[in-house]
Amino acid sequence: MTTATTAERPTAAGPSDRRPPAAVSARKRRAYLRLMRNRPGRLAYLTLVAVLFFSAFPLYYSVVVASRDNSALGQIPPPVLPGANLVENVERVFTTVPFDAALINSVVVSLTVTASVVFFSTLAGFAFAKLEFKASKVLLVAVVATMMVPVQLGVIPLYMLMIDLEWTDTLWAVIAPGLVNAFGVFFMTQYLRGALPGELIEAARVDGASTFRIFWQVVLPAARPAAVVLGVLTFLTAWNDYFWPLIVLSSPENYTVQVALSTLAGGYVTDQSLVLTGTMLATLPLLAVFALLGKYMISGIMQGAVKG
Amino acid sequence: MTRKPFRTALAAGTAAAMVAAGAACSSEADDGTVTLTVALFGDFGFGPLYEEYMEANPDIKIEERISEFADHHTNLTTHLATGSGAADIEAVEVGYISQYTPSPERFHNLFDLGAEELEGQWLDWKWQQALSSDGEALIGLGTDVGGMAMCYRKDLFEAAGLPVERDQVSALWADSWSDYVEVGHQYLEATDGSYYFESSGNMFRAMVEQAEQGVYDRDNNIVVESNPAIGEAWDLTVEAIEAGMSNGLEAWTPEWNASFSEGTFATIICPAWMTSYIETNAPDAAGLWDVASVPGGAGNMGGSHLVLPAQGEHAEEAYALIEWLTAPEQQLKVFEQTGNFPSTPELYEDPALTGLTKPYFNDAPVGEIFTAAAQAVQPQYQGPLQGDVLATLGQGLGRIEDGAQSPDEAWAQVMSDLESF
Amino acid sequence: MAIATEPPEARGRAAAPGRPSPAGRWRDRLYRLDLKASPFLYIAPFFVLFAAFGLFPLAFTAWVSVHDWSLLSDEQSFVGLDNYTALLTDPYFWNALGNTVSILALSTVPQLLAALLLAHLLTMRLRGQTFFRMGMLLPNVASVVAVAVIFSQLFGRDFGLINWVLESLGAGRIDWQTGKASSHVAIAVMVAWKWTGYNTLIYLAAMQAVPRDVYEAALLDGASRLQQLFRITVPMIRPTIVFTVIVSTIYGLQIFAEPQLFGGAGPNGVTGGASRQFQTLTLYLYEHAFNRGFEFGYASAVAWTMFAVIVLIALLNYLFIRRIRSDS
Repeated sequence: MTTATTAERPTAAGPSDRRPPAAVSARKRRAYLRLMRNRPGRLAYLTLVAVLFFSAFPLYYSVVVASRDNSALGQIPPPVLPGANLVENVERVFTTVPFDAALINSVVVSLTVTASVVFFSTLAGFAFAKLEFKASKVLLVAVVATMMVPVQLGVIPLYMLMIDLEWTDTLWAVIAPGLVNAFGVFFMTQYLRGALPGELIEAARVDGASTFRIFWQVVLPAARPAAVVLGVLTFLTAWNDYFWPLIVLSSPENYTVQVALSTLAGGYVTDQSLVLTGTMLATLPLLAVFALLGKYMISGIMQGAVKG
Repeated sequence: MTRKPFRTALAAGTAAAMVAAGAACSSEADDGTVTLTVALFGDFGFGPLYEEYMEANPDIKIEERISEFADHHTNLTTHLATGSGAADIEAVEVGYISQYTPSPERFHNLFDLGAEELEGQWLDWKWQQALSSDGEALIGLGTDVGGMAMCYRKDLFEAAGLPVERDQVSALWADSWSDYVEVGHQYLEATDGSYYFESSGNMFRAMVEQAEQGVYDRDNNIVVESNPAIGEAWDLTVEAIEAGMSNGLEAWTPEWNASFSEGTFATIICPAWMTSYIETNAPDAAGLWDVASVPGGAGNMGGSHLVLPAQGEHAEEAYALIEWLTAPEQQLKVFEQTGNFPSTPELYEDPALTGLTKPYFNDAPVGEIFTAAAQAVQPQYQGPLQGDVLATLGQGLGRIEDGAQSPDEAWAQVMSDLESF
Repeated sequence: MAIATEPPEARGRAAAPGRPSPAGRWRDRLYRLDLKASPFLYIAPFFVLFAAFGLFPLAFTAWVSVHDWSLLSDEQSFVGLDNYTALLTDPYFWNALGNTVSILALSTVPQLLAALLLAHLLTMRLRGQTFFRMGMLLPNVASVVAVAVIFSQLFGRDFGLINWVLESLGAGRIDWQTGKASSHVAIAVMVAWKWTGYNTLIYLAAMQAVPRDVYEAALLDGASRLQQLFRITVPMIRPTIVFTVIVSTIYGLQIFAEPQLFGGAGPNGVTGGASRQFQTLTLYLYEHAFNRGFEFGYASAVAWTMFAVIVLIALLNYLFIRRIRSDS
């Protein structure tokens, strides 16, 4: 796969060779150089750290409560440091919940759905964005319209469908309805409209490329940033999906992780520290993926389009 | 880098999914064993019982699955509506059972399976909860009940100059809820800054359930307006709210959790499971809480039934299992393990129950108190939208507590809301 | 720019003069077929799978909405548009609609603005940049239970953190749950917390397609970073902004989990508070579907009415946001 050279983009090193006139004050020059080097100031860092703190706090707090017991929820002021019960709670989770099977199920479901959604959304997005055909506008509106009906009631007819297909209590029932979604198509369409220059496609056509070749060689690389974002978002949504799998899966060995966690419920009084231990364990694989693949994902997002 | 890795992942993922998905499990293997599935919303303490049963009945296999309270019931409704996916045996909590008794055709009629002979085994009001409207069908057998008591803070009562010994406290309001509210007025006069109870909803419900006729008559008409008992309960509760007795707390919020140790209110209606909750949640307040009997002497809060959805294919085997699980002997075992209170009165003489005390509550004889409360409950007819009607009334009271409406406005809205039912 | 190799005949075809060979004619036809059919082939997977799993539920819901249909009963009678007229005359429906629109406005506008600013910050070269960028997704990773617990602690009436801060600053405590405005603000905060990071990454990806030299030119003209953001970046990523506005509108009008969690485990979780002060349309739908005798028919009518509402409001937002100038 080849992409455009990045000749027009500044290299990672210093600024371009334009410089401000020497008469500018030193402070302005420093600010200018900082802008040129694309480095952020203190305010920017402060904002980002604050945002990161607020984003991460619930996760941290889950760990705090998970490592204590139920009474931690009633303490005023709430505890902010982890306690000592973590190991015990973790053990209880593993004995109560078929966790390893559930993890595998979740991985299978989420990966399949993600790969399918990204691929088919890019395909359809390319068609809507750059291929001209009659009814393109109408069909795109139809795609968007499908997002506008609330889904809460759809579970009942969908479940009836699964009964007819004899897919109840199988992972297929969880995967199949998620294989494509309107959000993905809409997302890739609008991204490719902006990020895929018509000239590239023209040039490829002139060279005699078939549409699929163009898709494979031109569109996919150009779509990478959006595809990565869509992939991550789809994976997270599929991983966290709870209500539909709960309805359609009935054997504990088929449970996905979120459904398995509901096994920790305790009748009238639920041990929330146990539940939070479970959710923490369910989140660890995600965080591991973030840690391992984070750089790769980010470089995927940050890579520019094939554009000068 | 090409998209090949994704394509491979897609193909592999699909293949893996098909392998992992497998066929739906059949509940009858070739060797004739029958697998019974049991769906609950928490730990009912049945684990060791399953072992025992499977040993005695080698051709039966039992699988249990648990989901969260509200989702469990929503799921059950969905599976009942679509005719597939429910377990052989499902647990239904008392707050939901009257949603299902109007549709007895969705369940196996336990009378057809031999339940008539069991009638005397349960408290009569418990038995009645699982009867269809015409009484021709029984859809469930009762598991536990939530005998009511009144937990109170000894230190707060003492500070208000009220008696602190539980027998004396029980005597304060043994006859009625009006006496309870009377004590409340005294409490408020004598103290400053604390409340008498946590929220008015439970008190109102308890009063309604003590009446001979509740919100429905036997013809399934809503009689909230015409039944004087409801009006009295409403007025008494409003009086309590307007006097400032209510802390206005919503159950299960952090505030509510904290209030047990902080002692922001003096009394709370506590069934058996609530006492366990207070113990684990406010360990530092041990000895400050005690247990008296509930005003009017009778009350129930909680409890469940085991029902057999009609789509289950093994009605007889499932019935045999639930008959056994809810038999007094097994209910006693469950009680000893989880503290869930039995619904079979013959156990109420058993020293294991009557002798039960809770050290946290100054060794209060909770066994005696709960059994007395459970036995005193009178059967009251529950109509099809029972839960919704009570919720509407409760929310009316909530609006008064919030200060959003005056009592007259709240009542007017309750009346107009009920018309839409 | 190089594209991978083509079959030599195809290249040769462009260069060779004169009549095309029979092989060339066949290639021609294939090429035209490719041009015509590919678009439909490419959008087919979506429509086929949607037809399989999405269409039936929608059609079924529409069918149910014209019946008096209770989930557990076997009798369903056709009632035409009765469900629709009933719901349009139900003040609680309009109340839910008002609440939903209010929460939508309160959560979407700050959220998208914040996402823009954050994405702009994240395009810069930062120390620990992977950390900051991946951190945007942490709210989507956090479990629903943890979020519910935390926000109840934050917005608690007596012991909540926010009230504690307000009190120490001299402003009074707020009973977040009871008030209409206060409950909307609290829920909007919950929604914004969850989805801002999501939108930030979407903007971040879009901003990568903006060429650097435009910024350099602006810098020479003395543009501050904020001016760069609003005069250059925003117009250039306009399609993405339009997209996020439409999608946020569509999803925002359907929020369910946040108000339900805010209301707690009892009946208030479904009615959105004792005075229905924060009941959204989806909660209203759920209330009728799974309580009150399982009025499936009525709830289906609510679902399709919501569709009409969402179309209307999404269209309005689209027309409004389109007015961002797209020239740079």
